[in-house]
Amino acid sequence: MNTTKKESLAAYGFLAPALLLLGLFLVIPALLAIYYAFTDYYLLTPDKRQFVGLANFIEIFKDTIFLQSLKNIVVFVLCVIPVQVGAALGLALLINKQRRGNIFFKVAFFAPVVLSLVVISVLWLYLLNPSEGLINSLLVNIGFDAQPFLSSPKQAMYTIVFVSAWQGAGYQMLIFLAGLQNIPGTVYEAAKIDGVSKWQNFIYITMPLLKPTSILIMITTLIGAFKLIIQPMVMTQGGPMNSTITPVYYIYQTGFSDRLIGYSSAMTVLFGIVIAIVTLIQSKVTKEENI
Amino acid sequence: MKPDDIYSFCKQLHYPRWGGTIKMRKIWISVVCAIITSLIIAGCSQKGSSNDDAVSVWVHTSNETPEGKAMQKIIDQFNEKYKGEYEAKIEFIPRSGSGGGYEDKINAALTTNTLPDVLTLDGPNTAAYAEAGMIAPIDEYLTNKDDLLPSIIQQGTYDGKMYAVGYSESGVGVFYNKQMLKDAGVDLTTLPTVENPWDWNQFIDLNEKLVKKFDRPVIDMGFNDKSEWLMYAFTPFLWSQGGNIVSEDGATANGVFNNENAVKTMTFIQDMIKKGYSTISPVDKGFNTGEYALKFGGSWTIAEMEEYPDVEYGIMPYPTSPDTNKLVSPSGSWQYAMSATSDKKEAAGTLIDFMTSTESLTEITLANSVLPAAYSVIEEVKDKVSDEMNILIEQNAASAHARPVLPEYPQVSRIFQQTVSDVTYYEENANIQTLLDDKVTQIDKVLK
Repeated sequence: MNTTKKESLAAYGFLAPALLLLGLFLVIPALLAIYYAFTDYYLLTPDKRQFVGLANFIEIFKDTIFLQSLKNIVVFVLCVIPVQVGAALGLALLINKQRRGNIFFKVAFFAPVVLSLVVISVLWLYLLNPSEGLINSLLVNIGFDAQPFLSSPKQAMYTIVFVSAWQGAGYQMLIFLAGLQNIPGTVYEAAKIDGVSKWQNFIYITMPLLKPTSILIMITTLIGAFKLIIQPMVMTQGGPMNSTITPVYYIYQTGFSDRLIGYSSAMTVLFGIVIAIVTLIQSKVTKEENI
Repeated sequence: MKPDDIYSFCKQLHYPRWGGTIKMRKIWISVVCAIITSLIIAGCSQKGSSNDDAVSVWVHTSNETPEGKAMQKIIDQFNEKYKGEYEAKIEFIPRSGSGGGYEDKINAALTTNTLPDVLTLDGPNTAAYAEAGMIAPIDEYLTNKDDLLPSIIQQGTYDGKMYAVGYSESGVGVFYNKQMLKDAGVDLTTLPTVENPWDWNQFIDLNEKLVKKFDRPVIDMGFNDKSEWLMYAFTPFLWSQGGNIVSEDGATANGVFNNENAVKTMTFIQDMIKKGYSTISPVDKGFNTGEYALKFGGSWTIAEMEEYPDVEYGIMPYPTSPDTNKLVSPSGSWQYAMSATSDKKEAAGTLIDFMTSTESLTEITLANSVLPAAYSVIEEVKDKVSDEMNILIEQNAASAHARPVLPEYPQVSRIFQQTVSDVTYYEENANIQTLLDDKVTQIDKVLK
């Protein structure tokens, strides 16, 4: 055996576990989901499933809860991206400076990312409790009315936006930080000689040079945001009045509580297509602007 | 911060430091890869539980819980009694909070045809499992059917046949704080009993009195628990009023869940919030700490209250509809059933009968501090449990109503839960008729 062959064999060997896992838990389930989407698969009668053509997809467009969930997720994505990415950038800029206790802040900002989403959700559930929660006690003490954060159909989704942004921002902060570190100091030095202000520094140097990082962050945050499920599941159970039901949560409910695997697979496929289109548009737009 | 810092920072977050030469690392990586690959392959080819002569039993609890320990004991007794004839083996598959883990395993076993001979299932699953042909009728094996409470029979019966038998019961009563009621000028001797329950109007009068005294919501009805609770605890009001969710034959909700009875019931529930008696976001453990004078609670609340000896409490029965004055209370529990694919039906049937004998039921009822499922068990335990527990037991025997036995139960239950939750938003849903008409459309779509 020559060296090239040996090396490629070794390479496949290293790839094997990853490929096997990906195939087992990603490719095969995805293909099965597409297949089930065209059947009336009921979880308890797997042998009786029949091909039903597009019936599931037609049903989806008549399903007011699914349409409501799409509306909800659009609101969520549109709100969470600016808040979360903005917060991440702000935090990254804050800790980018040499300062005493920086490590502490870094760890503090990153800590929510490490914690489980369920833990975070339960934590905020206590903080946001209308009658005994910390946040409302604070509001009342400084002269505001107590707010029904999670029990109001108008506020619940925005509360979830805030909690999600708070939880996720630490991760994007770290990537932004790496991006900031990659900007060569010489650029700033040159600007200093030209006498630019701090604000101009940020707008004309930091922002443009941070663009590749920002695009990466936008895309990953967008896809992540579409997959929202844990927070509404733990904090509101999709309520009040379906104001926080999300597509993934609804898919989970129909699939595993209602046992309608066929129908929920159809929703999965449709929702997957929606995400793919959004991502495509986004990458097209950002490409045209040229990285 | 320098680039080096962030590099080492990231490294600390994600990667442990690796020692050794590059060659050593390569060897290590290959070994790890090989182990992972073989684990995956081994994991996939694992066979289901071995198919020997013993009757296999799957239960949803852990063998660490009192319930699990009692089950193990009952199985041991069975093996002792039928030595040489039958043998049973129990497997504990603890469920997660919402019932996840266990049902996932059942569903997986169903697709691979490896269901055990005997399994436990939650009451609302009876119809779906029976309809799907997963479980077999067990009438012929049960020797004590007459002894079982009507709610247990109701819960386990689908299409005229008994498919599952509950081994305990549950119920809800109105817990009251004796001191707070006295403070509000209520004469405790006039409180209702199971023979003489209060109707909604009398119940509202009590709330009114308490709100006047304490100037805050006075009853925790669990409106924040947006789950099965809203179905379990609030359907009895509808049944007391003479209403229902779906028609007797389970075909439609139209003309049933949107008729006058349903509107009256939902109006009562809405009034509890609208008039400030209850709250949609109650304080955690509010009853235990004297925030609320009243609470909807079950046998589990009795256990919980043992940690709050300062609160002197009593239990009164569920309020009834003023139109019928018929006492109806929540009920439901986990049950035993036999899988339809079992090749040891005789043995499995004998085991289920043994597990639902007076002795076995008494064992599990006392161990788990739950309500008895059979009349004979009530006789056995009534001297061994607290007065409060006896009120729940008495109410249960007199008025327990099983949840609807429908294959589409999960959806119907969720729509009912949402209805209850929606009516508490009285400003948005001032017109209950419109809301119910909308929900009826949703239910009928599910039932088709």
